[in-house]
Amino acid sequence: MTGQTVAQKILARAGGLQSVAANQIVEVTPDFCYSHDYAIFAIDAFAQMGAQAVVAPERLAVCLDHGFPVNTARDANNHMRVREFARKHKFRAFFEGGTGIAHQVMLEKGLVVPGALVLASDSHTPSGGAAGALAIGIGETELAFVWAVGRTWLKVPDTIRVTLSGALPAGVQAKDAMLNLVGRLGILGAGYRAIEYHGTGAAALSISERFTFCNMTAEVGAKCGVFPHDDVTEAFVRGRAQFPYQPVRPDPDAAYCGEVALDLGDVEPMVVLPGREDRGVPVGEAAGRKIHQVFIGSCTNARADDLALAARVLKDRHVHPEVRLLVVPASRQVGLDAARNGDLAVLLEAGATLMPSGCAVCAGAHQGVLGDGEVCLSTSNRNMPGRMGNKNAEIMLCSPATAAASAITGVITDARDFLS
Amino acid sequence: MTIETITGEVTLLGDFISADAILPARHSFLAPEDMAQHVLAEVSAPVNAAVRARPIIVAGEAFGYGTGRESPARALRAAGIKAIVGGPFARMFFRNAINNGVLVLDCPELAGCGIGDGDDLTIDVATGIIQWRERTFRAMPVPDIIQSIVAAGSLIDYGRALLGAQRSGAVHS
Repeated sequence: MTGQTVAQKILARAGGLQSVAANQIVEVTPDFCYSHDYAIFAIDAFAQMGAQAVVAPERLAVCLDHGFPVNTARDANNHMRVREFARKHKFRAFFEGGTGIAHQVMLEKGLVVPGALVLASDSHTPSGGAAGALAIGIGETELAFVWAVGRTWLKVPDTIRVTLSGALPAGVQAKDAMLNLVGRLGILGAGYRAIEYHGTGAAALSISERFTFCNMTAEVGAKCGVFPHDDVTEAFVRGRAQFPYQPVRPDPDAAYCGEVALDLGDVEPMVVLPGREDRGVPVGEAAGRKIHQVFIGSCTNARADDLALAARVLKDRHVHPEVRLLVVPASRQVGLDAARNGDLAVLLEAGATLMPSGCAVCAGAHQGVLGDGEVCLSTSNRNMPGRMGNKNAEIMLCSPATAAASAITGVITDARDFLS
Repeated sequence: MTIETITGEVTLLGDFISADAILPARHSFLAPEDMAQHVLAEVSAPVNAAVRARPIIVAGEAFGYGTGRESPARALRAAGIKAIVGGPFARMFFRNAINNGVLVLDCPELAGCGIGDGDDLTIDVATGIIQWRERTFRAMPVPDIIQSIVAAGSLIDYGRALLGAQRSGAVHS
């Protein structure tokens, strides 16, 4: 038997097999599944399938995050139905709107654990790879199928090994490194494949930084991204994990379909030009471009370390009068941490607008929609046309430090000028 | 029930059309027939009209990338789309389309072969062989499970049949 990657090992176990090969179709029983507001579509599909009982409700959760507080009676009624369904079927957990973004909440609450096969009805599910889980996005109908049947089919992906060396320079964040990788790989550069993050550079990254990498693994078309279990993973999940877990690391002789190397020490602050996520350039090449709205939020970059860096940049400074700065902590816990340590006060004093924890501007259907011709500089993960609800507006992506510095000047700005 | 061939006129679309462009998030909660009114309207009104009139899409690279929302796939089904060929496709969109009974065939060389908007195309579902004029293309083979879901009509239909069989005591392999 040849060596197995993390994806092969976890899919083999979830499929009840000794080993699996790339491109093999495997019928798997997931260890944990979750959803958000769009669970409403799974609830409809569940009924249309004639299903009556969910299989293994102790492995299911919902966290409302896409549109809370609601704007319309229709959305309010949908949220009611999601709450009722989760209660009736005895889901392990239901998180009310405002708790945070589902991907963040599931890690914080210890529901996504190392070595688990996690399925969720959202494209940024791969975020769970930060805790060593194989976390894969599925559609809402498919989630209903899993609720009803307890299993589904997956194709075993080939794996690309990304080796990170060196350390991020001052004023450069994990986001900048990931935007660099997305630019190099391209939109479907890892299509249908898994990514494993390795190397001394990877070992030194925090769970929050790993989250940023795994989250944007979706932006290169990958099925999932994972940091194989190590001491950082163990320290994060110990005392937090709600399920028994089995740390998984790849075999030394595992076969990879591609190798990518990145020296973190070479990474510059990046800004992604409008229209596509793989259009990242060093901040200097975009410097001076006018912006109208700055969004520090999303599952990519709105954790306590992100808000701390933004606060460092904005301390004793003020948001430009022609810019709206929207701050959305990734979860209530993050907001609480930032309130207690003073970062939230710094951001508010600088002129930030605080919004409820959730997907907010990023999902493009709730709050913070842009006007025609406006430009939003965002710490989120996507900037395709229309993403924030108006195809006549433009979106650029960056790190929280660059977002904060640019909010002060009203134009794209290198945050290192404010951090030195 | 099996579908042997899908045939009809194609709408030719370009590269990097995201799932958000197929159907924006703000239309997610519409009834399917209302979603069809908006399908691909973010690209242009003529594309919207063409897709609603023709059963096949020849799509370029990364069609459906980005959001994993299922509503873009639901909108394409509601608009009468039977098959989408070309690609390569984004994986969540691929699964969502299949689960809504819309066959997706990976056949990237088709998009650049000279096929025109409104041309006729014939797809042999079982073999993945695609016929355009005198030329034959071979798409990536479709696993049995995908064929079964598309043949059932959708994952909802497939799931209903499976649950029905479980209830009546039949053993599902």
